[in-house]
Amino acid sequence: MSLTTSIWRMQRTSFYLGIVKTVQRFMIRLSSSKMTPALTDTLQPVELAEGVEIQLRVAGPGVRSLAWTLDLAIAIACYIALAIIMGLLGFFGMENVWQGVFLLFMFFFNWFYNVFFEMTARGATPGQRHCGIKVVSLSGGPVRLPQSLIRNLLRVIDFMPAAYLFGFLCTLCNRRFQRLGDLVADTVVVYADPKFDLTQRVHVNADPCPPPMPLSRAEQAAVLQFLERAPSWSVERRIEMADLLSPLTGATGPEGLYRLCAIALWLRQSGQPGKTSSP
Amino acid sequence: MNSNQFEHENAHRWQRLEKVIEAVETRQPDEDIERLPTLFRQICHDLSVAQHRLYDSVIIERLNRLAISGYRTLERRITGGWEHFARLIAVDFPQTVREEKKLFWFNSLIFWLPFLFMAIWTPFDPEWAMRLLGPEGMVQMESMYGNHTSPHDYMREEFGSNFMMFAFYIYNNVGIDLRTFAGGLLGGLGSFIIVLFNGAHLGAATGYIHHACSPQTFYSFVAGHSAPELLGVVVAGMAGMRLGLSLIRPGLHDRRTALILGGRRALLLILGACAMTSFAAVIEGFWSANPMEPWIKYTVGALIWTLTIAYLGFCGRRARAA
Repeated sequence: MSLTTSIWRMQRTSFYLGIVKTVQRFMIRLSSSKMTPALTDTLQPVELAEGVEIQLRVAGPGVRSLAWTLDLAIAIACYIALAIIMGLLGFFGMENVWQGVFLLFMFFFNWFYNVFFEMTARGATPGQRHCGIKVVSLSGGPVRLPQSLIRNLLRVIDFMPAAYLFGFLCTLCNRRFQRLGDLVADTVVVYADPKFDLTQRVHVNADPCPPPMPLSRAEQAAVLQFLERAPSWSVERRIEMADLLSPLTGATGPEGLYRLCAIALWLRQSGQPGKTSSP
Repeated sequence: MNSNQFEHENAHRWQRLEKVIEAVETRQPDEDIERLPTLFRQICHDLSVAQHRLYDSVIIERLNRLAISGYRTLERRITGGWEHFARLIAVDFPQTVREEKKLFWFNSLIFWLPFLFMAIWTPFDPEWAMRLLGPEGMVQMESMYGNHTSPHDYMREEFGSNFMMFAFYIYNNVGIDLRTFAGGLLGGLGSFIIVLFNGAHLGAATGYIHHACSPQTFYSFVAGHSAPELLGVVVAGMAGMRLGLSLIRPGLHDRRTALILGGRRALLLILGACAMTSFAAVIEGFWSANPMEPWIKYTVGALIWTLTIAYLGFCGRRARAA
């Protein structure tokens, strides 16, 4: 097992989309078996005009269906409430008028519920807001009215033949989890305020020590990320992950973990010996 | 310099930008608001440096979030408003219809051919039309346009029924337009089928009226709203096929870009089509059922046909040359 492969395997810590990613990787392998496995990640880089690269954390089909289900529940509740109100008002006459109001409401609600909420400052329907996701332009900027109209009018195609099958398949076929409507509108659904709570830092008892071989930037980044994320795992998991890197550390078990931490500390201090711990 | 020093030295700038963004979002005045672009550029620089030096992901994540919300705040602008909307109606939409000439004629063909065929064929052999309309459709036709009845007698006597019918036409007809547009994403096939079926169905209704009801009642009812409604169907088909064509024949662009560009044009077309269909719904709901002399209705109908064709054919031509 090459070093890159083992680091790559260590990097994948997004459990939630595990199944989806497996399918995706399978499809990538099908399309080109000789290619090195592409890094499928929920972080999507976007380059701004300012020359900087920002990372959008795209939301997958799972959380989006949850948001959609919530919106559906809201819609059903609205319909029932309105039907009762219109029915009651009907007792006092003008039945036709109330029926007309109901039809118009149905039309606008069916087609423009999402457009209305995506145009607010938050860029999300109540369901999406609850799930912490929102719609943005692929450029990272806010979604505009034409984009919102396109992605929501094309929703009927994504829904076909039933239960968003087309949309679901489409999200699996591109790295940004875009459904068909998103592709045409050039939009993407992202986590609104990514939870990234890494403030808890722990004392690592290890003496910084340089890696036995030069590491590429991606590899350095992976090792550094290990040091940052390890506190949130159980000891067994840490050792399991560190074991994947035995080609680098030359040891398994607690000893391998210790050496990996030492290398990570050395990297964090930009190769300068001295301080032994992070604050 | 390690990440802690970096954070320590620059955090005051980051906090300032955070404050400005919050001020913009809550619409509070802030003295630093003029410096938003500068602060944003500095954040972008800090983010690049932090990314390059592989600093702690806490810092990178914080800067990344700041850069995203800063970009969003800077990019948020109020689009043209009414002026923009007026230009859309008066210039952009009819211009786009004229630019997509081939699509217009193709959609006219697949709408009018089945329409005329069914309308002419049905009086000789009503079997197909009866199948297409179904028993309910035939009963409705007869109660609206029968020999001893009129659309006014049928469902239009109660108070508010005009409004109800208007709402129904919006719900149903504009809904069909929107579906025609969306169907374009299936390579144009969905739109093709809807337009074709629409033509055949309306043709069958017309033919059946010649067969079993009173043509005079029918024509005087539909005269007013027929122009925007029928042309609206054709334009909705154009919108769908614009989308489908971008998918099938992307031309110079890659397929993805072609879809995005085609989608924008198609959106313009479908919005215009919806406006036309809604206009038709207003006429059909509030005016067409009025008991009036047929010649008044035919005159108004001819006038609206002329206006609609002139609108699509000539409106905004000068603005294009300018």
